[in-house]
Amino acid sequence: MSVQVAGRTVSADPRVAVRMIRLEVAGTPRPLKLWFALLTVLCMIGAVGALIALPPGWEVLGTSPTVEWGILITGYVFFAITTSGLCLASSLGTVFGIEMFIPLEKRHAILALLSLITAFGLIALDLHYPIRMVFGAVLSPSPFSPMWWMGVFYGAYLVFLMTEVWSMFTGHWQVHRFACVLSSITAILAPTTLGAVFGVLAARPYWHGAFTPPAMVTAALLSGIALLGIVFALVNRFQLAGWERATTLAIPAIRLLMMIVLPVTMLVLAWQMMFGLYGVVPGLADATKAILVGPLALQFWIIRVGLGLLVPLVLVVRRRSRTPTGLFAASCLVFLGLLADRMIFVSAGQIAPGTAVAGVVSSPWAEYTPSPVEIAIIVGAFAFFALVYTLAERYLPMGEHEGHLVGSFLGSTEHPGGTREEPAEPVLASEPILVSDAVPAPDAVPALDAIPAPSVAPVLDPAGGAL
Amino acid sequence: MRETGLAGTPGQNVSPTLSRRRVLQLGAAALPALCGARLLAGALTGSGVETARAADATAPADGYDPSAHSWAFAVDTTTCIGCGRCVDACKQENHVPAEPEMNRTWVELHVLNQDGSVRVSAPDGGIRGFPTEETMPEADAADVRDAYFVPRLCMQCENPPCTWVCPVSATYKNADGVVLVDETRCIGCGYCMVACPYGARYMVPAGETTPKGVAGVVDKCTFCYHRITRGQLPACAEVCPTSARIFGDRNDPQSAVSVALNERRVRVMKPGLGTRPRVFYTGLEGEVD
Repeated sequence: MSVQVAGRTVSADPRVAVRMIRLEVAGTPRPLKLWFALLTVLCMIGAVGALIALPPGWEVLGTSPTVEWGILITGYVFFAITTSGLCLASSLGTVFGIEMFIPLEKRHAILALLSLITAFGLIALDLHYPIRMVFGAVLSPSPFSPMWWMGVFYGAYLVFLMTEVWSMFTGHWQVHRFACVLSSITAILAPTTLGAVFGVLAARPYWHGAFTPPAMVTAALLSGIALLGIVFALVNRFQLAGWERATTLAIPAIRLLMMIVLPVTMLVLAWQMMFGLYGVVPGLADATKAILVGPLALQFWIIRVGLGLLVPLVLVVRRRSRTPTGLFAASCLVFLGLLADRMIFVSAGQIAPGTAVAGVVSSPWAEYTPSPVEIAIIVGAFAFFALVYTLAERYLPMGEHEGHLVGSFLGSTEHPGGTREEPAEPVLASEPILVSDAVPAPDAVPALDAIPAPSVAPVLDPAGGAL
Repeated sequence: MRETGLAGTPGQNVSPTLSRRRVLQLGAAALPALCGARLLAGALTGSGVETARAADATAPADGYDPSAHSWAFAVDTTTCIGCGRCVDACKQENHVPAEPEMNRTWVELHVLNQDGSVRVSAPDGGIRGFPTEETMPEADAADVRDAYFVPRLCMQCENPPCTWVCPVSATYKNADGVVLVDETRCIGCGYCMVACPYGARYMVPAGETTPKGVAGVVDKCTFCYHRITRGQLPACAEVCPTSARIFGDRNDPQSAVSVALNERRVRVMKPGLGTRPRVFYTGLEGEVD
């Protein structure tokens, strides 16, 4: 007896299956093996941290009544906005059918699903009673609580994403079209609600206000774009499935988005700081001071502004650095900057408390140092994300499918699906701005050329006699 | 052939058409399933039993009618001497953790300087009093315009941000105005803590529990609910040697708090937030906003 997994025949006999896994491991290139080993070790460290953090009443976090939300919340917000940004960025292809964004489809959906699962894992570990959360939210709904709505929207988003991924790999294009539209709509609603979770808090001037939800959506979009930039630059680098169209279409598309969203983010950030500097909102000036010249200044100016915004903008604008490698560097820096940004955001709301908390006067700033358990969980979360995605990249058919050919989108009268008659033209490759992407970058040597798994089953199929 | 409720014959792909009988069967099966889920959820979260709210430390006395009362608290900063007995009494009465950074109530020393700056200190929540070497090591009498102690506690807001934000309705306001936490529902997310403008909440730390014996949830001042519903004063007001903490029922015009609020000029903390606290202060200056 055997089962088909991702187009490969895997025996259901445990002994044979173990043997097949051994063979698979033996056949994995050494650098990839080391990469998997590293991620597995980091995941295990995170798992130990998670096990320690799970039982309620074990004070293993570095938080205090003054700084109640630490890096687990930071990590949650980071992954929660990233998952939304991935769908927002890719909706240009999946919903609106713009050709150059269509290669993003499969990878964005898997990344978004993984990112959301990681976010849920982090928030569950920060909560002391996650099971109560599930039952409580259903049985005692609190429609006036943004956190409750956040659960509703991210829960719906999970369902839509799962449907999107399932239909994508099983060829249910009708379902897929609707799932893409619904997940893209929810990708706006969810980070807006996450922004509202912070925005309604009048007690925290830096978070408070109607400005926070749209700022969160902007950060989400940039984060999703950055992650897509990293992944597609690697697709180009290692010539993974569909790398030709990734190089000619997806990478210029991602760069174009980044060129637009980076200045928008800068503008949003500038206004945010300007409001704070006015000094007319009690407490907001203190928080802004903490960011600009206080304990958060170093990570704000160097990582957030310098490395996270200015350098990437130069990299995507300068003609010489308009290469997949340039986009990779810009995306990594944006990703790093956004991580710092989320830390600054979560800290700034709490570091300048407007009052003593539970009897503790924090002057001038409240202090918070993440505990080793918190750090382990965050490291484990990133490792989990990278490990599962690498596995997906290796074992799932990541090439483009045919569900989003022209005519398959909502609003179209043509029948969805169909067969691609001819390869799509790299529509923008002839434009001067994208010339450097029309051909693979010189550094695109497939060092890990064995990353795409062998697509023929007999190697692993005992029935085929190959063993 | 016995009707299965599904159209089609054996060997064929059945269409998902449901007969009326099948719908009724499913409905009959779903009802107890939903009830079972509700009971299971109640067992897991405690939310299924409304009377769970009325347990132990927050339990009102038998026959207590919340709608007949409107509890309020007045703090006279002109008579508080910063002895810290209230903090100690609260810790003992309400199973508050021994850690100095966890308090349901505490006392602050506010020192107003001539240049308008304010120094606020609360060593160990004021439980040991205010040794000068800790609170004002560089004290310069000429620079100080005014100084006084400010006892702090949950403001029991009429419009409490904590109850608005709670995603599972674990924190709620009673008809008598007291804001309570249902420990069997609290998920420990800390949202109410960051939402409270008065810093009145804390997460029960490791190795400690609430008076009800629950770990890892949020705790706060309840005006000593178990005492006031039995006609007693909150522990802090009971032990205050200078009657700086005045408690009572505003529905009773003769109560100490009603008299105090009628006769004195009082103000609340952070009135601009619209929380409408039930804790009123006399002798408080604007710096606490």
